Amino acid sequence: MQNQITGFLSLLLESTDNQKGLDWLKVKSQKISSEGTPSQFFLAFSQASRYFKKEKLSLSDQEIKKANELSTGFQPEFWDQLQSARTVLMLSYPQEKETWFTAMNQLFETADMNEHQALFAALPLMPFQEDLIPRAIDGLRTNISLVFDAIALSNPFPAKYFPEANWNQMVLKAIFMQRPLYRIQGLEERRNPALAAIARDFAHERWAAGREVMPEIWRLVSPFVDEMYLEDLKKTLSTKDELQVKSALLALRESAYLPAKELLEAYPEQVASLDMDAIAWESIGSEFQRTRV
Amino acid sequence: MYIDPHIHVVSRTTDDYEAMQKAGIVAVIEPAFWLGQPRTEVGSFKDYFSTLVGWERFRASQFGIVHYCTMGLNSKEANNEALAEQVMELLPLYVGKEGVVAIGEIGYDDQTEAEDKFYRLQLELAKEVDLPVLIHTPHRDKRKGTIRSMDVSEEHKLDPKMVIVDHNNEETVKEVLDRGYYAGFTIYPHTKMGSERMVEIVRQYGPERIIVNSAADWGISDPLAVPKTADLMRKSGIPEEHIKLVTYQNALTAFGQSGQMDEQDWLNAAPLDQTKKMGGNSVLRGGQTPRVEGSSDIVEN
Repeated sequence: MQNQITGFLSLLLESTDNQKGLDWLKVKSQKISSEGTPSQFFLAFSQASRYFKKEKLSLSDQEIKKANELSTGFQPEFWDQLQSARTVLMLSYPQEKETWFTAMNQLFETADMNEHQALFAALPLMPFQEDLIPRAIDGLRTNISLVFDAIALSNPFPAKYFPEANWNQMVLKAIFMQRPLYRIQGLEERRNPALAAIARDFAHERWAAGREVMPEIWRLVSPFVDEMYLEDLKKTLSTKDELQVKSALLALRESAYLPAKELLEAYPEQVASLDMDAIAWESIGSEFQRTRV
Repeated sequence: MYIDPHIHVVSRTTDDYEAMQKAGIVAVIEPAFWLGQPRTEVGSFKDYFSTLVGWERFRASQFGIVHYCTMGLNSKEANNEALAEQVMELLPLYVGKEGVVAIGEIGYDDQTEAEDKFYRLQLELAKEVDLPVLIHTPHRDKRKGTIRSMDVSEEHKLDPKMVIVDHNNEETVKEVLDRGYYAGFTIYPHTKMGSERMVEIVRQYGPERIIVNSAADWGISDPLAVPKTADLMRKSGIPEEHIKLVTYQNALTAFGQSGQMDEQDWLNAAPLDQTKKMGGNSVLRGGQTPRVEGSSDIVEN
């Protein structure tokens, strides 16, 4: 898989019109792969910033599909050129477990912001993934959103590997940092009653402080709607704020709870205008990010 | 627009950052130095270096200030040789990182043998990675220490234009400039230079290769020393283009030789990224907005 990924990323970088960078990357990744000396790897990894820009890659629909085929959940459409080049270098380093961990631990521990971004976003492409779970969990303690996003957003690793408590912590922190929840992979599949309760507590805390509640959090609640959550959704409907109302209606529509169905009937027009669930949540999330964060 | 090319912002508060930004400081350089007390483990150096390229840079960016740094083993701590050896092994992991604009601050403190050894090793490292060098000149026996720093640098075949000799005074400036080096001046109350003396030096020697900085740190020091000195120069009739050279352009030219510092970094900076800025756990907690007016009795919700 490593060769296919590096090949694919190199191909994406070729469309950026940066021959000097590509030549450099080719030489360095071959050297790293054949000689495997950590110091060469470290220096190339940091100096990649001299050859590649932090501009987003641009992928065709076909390439987006291809990425997901190569590795499920791989979304390089959210990656920049520099992190892609760094990922090529990282994947070129020989994957012999003991020496690989020695080098990677050193790299993780001494990385700057953008290097962390590259490393954490590439977790699902790395070998020995189960041994990397503590590294990912530790990475989420960051206060730098660029680094947090690299793990939490558009990354299949947490949903695949995190125990429930760590998963819930991550989602809560994403809410707290007002990150777009719709970009958390596996968000729906990994909803759970504990997380719904955490989201509810958070909403109450925000209301008590007179602050706005992020509408996407009601997505976490919808499968568990009962009498208690219904009160929260009623309160959300009463805000008359279009985004808030939409999110409450979506949560109600998704719920199998009978009183929720009944409540919905009071809003026939708005319900008729709602999109499919996933699309509707994404549009609420992106609208909130665009206008309120 | 000003650059403060020597300031230890890890020790400064967010009020300082706000005041600096308001006073026109667009970029700072934070030289790796000691922390007021000696470190006893190499891991402390590692985390400090990581802070310089990580959190502190991020923190500065949230106030609209571009943060660069220099990497090196300072002269004081070079005297713990066993530890210093380990720090030397660590440095290659950091010197190639983005925004590292020089090896420094290095040089002499008590002018011991150990200091000399690690100074020389780091001059070689600077040559190897083609970075400028920032030299810290000693507080005590300054003139001799300054001259020795330059002699040794030349022994290692460094080009003087790649070397910034810092913390100069009236006694050292002439020789430093005559030998082709950049001369840094630190406006630091009581111990180094006062701003009035600085005005006289610019008047006497002109603006070429002279760089003003604050070296503000955890001691009684002033993060606004550069803009304040510029104002005093203005009042004292120093021409505007001279002021620009010593408080902005010369630092950019000298440290820009690293290829890691470019005027576009602040002229074309993306507007303060609201999502980064407002991240609940960032330096601005849960929906705070940065204060733009003077202080008020109301703490924002």
